[in-house]
Amino acid sequence: MRSRAEMERSGFYQRLALPALVVITLFFLVPLLITLSSAFIDEGGSLSLAPIISVFSNPYIHRIMRFTLIQAAISTLASLVVALAGAYLLSTYSFRFKRLILALSAVPFVIPSILVVLGFVIFFGNNGFLNTALMNIFSLSEPPIRILYSYKAIILAHTFYNFPIIMNLVATYAMHLDRRLEAVSYTLGASKAKTFFSVTLPRLLPAIISASSLVFLFCFSSFAIILVLGGGPRYTTMEVEIYRQARMMGNTGAAAALSLFSIAVTSLLLVAYNRSQRRLSKSEAYREPLSLEKRPAGLVGRVLAVLYTIISLLFVLAPIISVIVRSVYSSSTGFTLKWYRQLLNLERATSHMGSALTALTNSLLIALAVSLLAVILGTGLAASIERRKKSRGALELLGMLSMTVSSVIIGLGYFLISSRLRGNASLSYTLVVLAHLVIALPFVLRVMLPEYRKIPLSYAHSAWTLGSTPGHAFFSVELPLLKSAMVSAAIFAFAISMGEFNATLTLSSSTIITLPIVMYRLIGSYNYQGACALGTILIAVSAVVFIATGTAKGTHHA
Amino acid sequence: MHNSGLACTLNASYDEFTLNAEFAIEEGELACIIGPSGCGKSTTLQLIAGLLPLTEGSITLHGNDLTSVPVHHRQIAMVFQEYALFPHMSVASNIAYPLKLRHLKKSERTKRVADLLTLVSLEGYEKRKSDELSGGEKQRVALARALASDPQLLLLDEPLSALDAKLRKHLREEIRRIHDETGITTLYVTHDQEEALSIADRIIVMRDGTVMQSGKAEEVYHAPNSLFVATFIGDGNTLPAHLFADGEEERSGVVFFRPEEATVQITVPGEHLPHLAFNEATVESCEFQGGRYRLHTRWQGYPIICYSERRPKGKSINLTVRKKDLLYFEDGNV
Repeated sequence: MRSRAEMERSGFYQRLALPALVVITLFFLVPLLITLSSAFIDEGGSLSLAPIISVFSNPYIHRIMRFTLIQAAISTLASLVVALAGAYLLSTYSFRFKRLILALSAVPFVIPSILVVLGFVIFFGNNGFLNTALMNIFSLSEPPIRILYSYKAIILAHTFYNFPIIMNLVATYAMHLDRRLEAVSYTLGASKAKTFFSVTLPRLLPAIISASSLVFLFCFSSFAIILVLGGGPRYTTMEVEIYRQARMMGNTGAAAALSLFSIAVTSLLLVAYNRSQRRLSKSEAYREPLSLEKRPAGLVGRVLAVLYTIISLLFVLAPIISVIVRSVYSSSTGFTLKWYRQLLNLERATSHMGSALTALTNSLLIALAVSLLAVILGTGLAASIERRKKSRGALELLGMLSMTVSSVIIGLGYFLISSRLRGNASLSYTLVVLAHLVIALPFVLRVMLPEYRKIPLSYAHSAWTLGSTPGHAFFSVELPLLKSAMVSAAIFAFAISMGEFNATLTLSSSTIITLPIVMYRLIGSYNYQGACALGTILIAVSAVVFIATGTAKGTHHA
Repeated sequence: MHNSGLACTLNASYDEFTLNAEFAIEEGELACIIGPSGCGKSTTLQLIAGLLPLTEGSITLHGNDLTSVPVHHRQIAMVFQEYALFPHMSVASNIAYPLKLRHLKKSERTKRVADLLTLVSLEGYEKRKSDELSGGEKQRVALARALASDPQLLLLDEPLSALDAKLRKHLREEIRRIHDETGITTLYVTHDQEEALSIADRIIVMRDGTVMQSGKAEEVYHAPNSLFVATFIGDGNTLPAHLFADGEEERSGVVFFRPEEATVQITVPGEHLPHLAFNEATVESCEFQGGRYRLHTRWQGYPIICYSERRPKGKSINLTVRKKDLLYFEDGNV
């Protein structure tokens, strides 16, 4: 017999998950099922495996699959090499700018991919800052570095985008390892090299594997970088091909069949990542970082440290700064606010700049709606997961599920729905909000869950025994304690929505205009300065997230 | 049927633990639940408060059946082990929390908060935040907040366990004083038998999810109904009963007596009433406890604890215990 009291209490927390469950079911699972089901329907409309068979027997698709996996592997390896050198320097030596490098290495976590593309073009392009500088220094008549629209460009952009992630994760982990174990190894007679390979590296391996699988996942499902920098069907990956098949060839069956493959790979990678994460959390007791008094020894060490500082700054900061500079300056025009005037409709605009202001207001409104909804749903879901005894694992998995599906595939589902609905513009924007919401929800959940976990159960229990209903206790006691977490989750969701490109492009018709979409069109029509003006706004948003999440990490209660 | 006080029959099953407890306390009593860790003390409180569901049974308070009343309507306040003060609220807001729920006017709330702070000796603490309070102050605020809800029953879950020994002693006197001033029926969980003996009107001894004995402190101490209760509360000596078979009564089981019931004989023999004699018990250690000495002795291989007014001169002493002070237990029961 369950008492009425028990029913009422557990009922409240169960109901808290309801809004999120409805959204996940209707706006993630249903579109996904619609997408995937078209892999099993042939052109005549009857059930068959024809789309899957025709896709997976196509040598062109085989080449794309191979290329997708190989470029992801090379990009991950390249990131790993650059990152491990940095992680070694960061965790072994103390030198100036060390904290700056560590802080900067968190930048790729918050920067949208369309901005990476733009920064890359502006900095490494034929007329980019790097080439111009090299031409001026060495008085060359031709740009010496020609890497845009090539295999190299993809690898380089992926490395730039991802090596700081590995460096950040591995260095942070290494700094918290117990250094006495190395000391013990030395006293037992092992050499430095022997100690590194037999004592240090094995303990770092879980962190390295974990970070690498995450980066491989990012490179595998990379979209904007391939779409722009790959420059056409020669260097196409799965995600771009899904988009091309659905939106350019009108072959949804093929797109759906490819999606099946993509989801299988990303799910495997996420399982690997979760496994290694769990091993990480179990492996060693977290220690306060030792104060490292060690300075770079000798000339080689010092040169290495300086060189590394310069390269890190170049890799991470230079493309971003280039975007800001190029938005107000070019060698032909000098300093100008022309592009901001066009953006604000103060001046007659050329090409796609005319829609820039609409795009900005659209993006702001969409992001506002997404962040509000995501925080409300995510907080409710987090509370419901934490306050139940049964099936919390299943509920958490459901909340995180949309991470296993690339945003292109999420966008594809919405495209299929909207093409059937034939709705107006406001319906299209509603779909954009919902797609962004589905994408942002897991990130909000990841912020809220650990924060909610910190609230002792006794707070709610106290409130109940003092005469408060479960609902009132939740709103008067638990929610106020989550305020700062909710703010940083909202900012996070806001930034995800502002920078979201993949799903938006895949689902959009020409009527949908958001900031990243207009940036993409401006890049496509070679109006880089206009794109930079819009990019600077995105940088500002990312900067707010960067600062807000950085400070939010330090806050805790109880 | 109990018309006043608390009467409960609690049945609850969990994966590795079953609780099967039945007890009653009278209106206005301060009762202590005591038992080893894992005996179900805290579970009992949570069942009574309504924080955990009953599998079967009933809870009656002042004649009202609360079994299916949800926790927030039970009017049973609870003070938690870690105080559970709401960290985002001031002391005054914490105490005013239940008052607001009852829609008291602001002026009334302010007055009631001030009165309650006076009751727990924290006048003027209204504006403090909970992280500015010491452990003892937090405890008092938690108590004031619980009292603010005008509870029919007050539950205290090891309220002093996180405090140091001196503060613990002082606060338990405070709790007793506040109980006497308010007259609220109180159920207090502790694992500290000294704490229970010193403040409780009634002691409820629990073990493995069942109530072993419930009664006045003196009753539980002097007339324990089981060897478990006898040894759990207070010090005691347990010896096999067959050692004392003197023809007229052959007993199995064990014989139990309190250390203070053993008399150290200065000259042998000095006792005329029927008694047991433990002659030439070896003194193994002697602790000075202020007013008396606590002796650890060994007699025929069995340890015996007793008290003495003087430090024993020799290496052995003679002890006697009156037969009327002996308790016999067989298989742990009387």
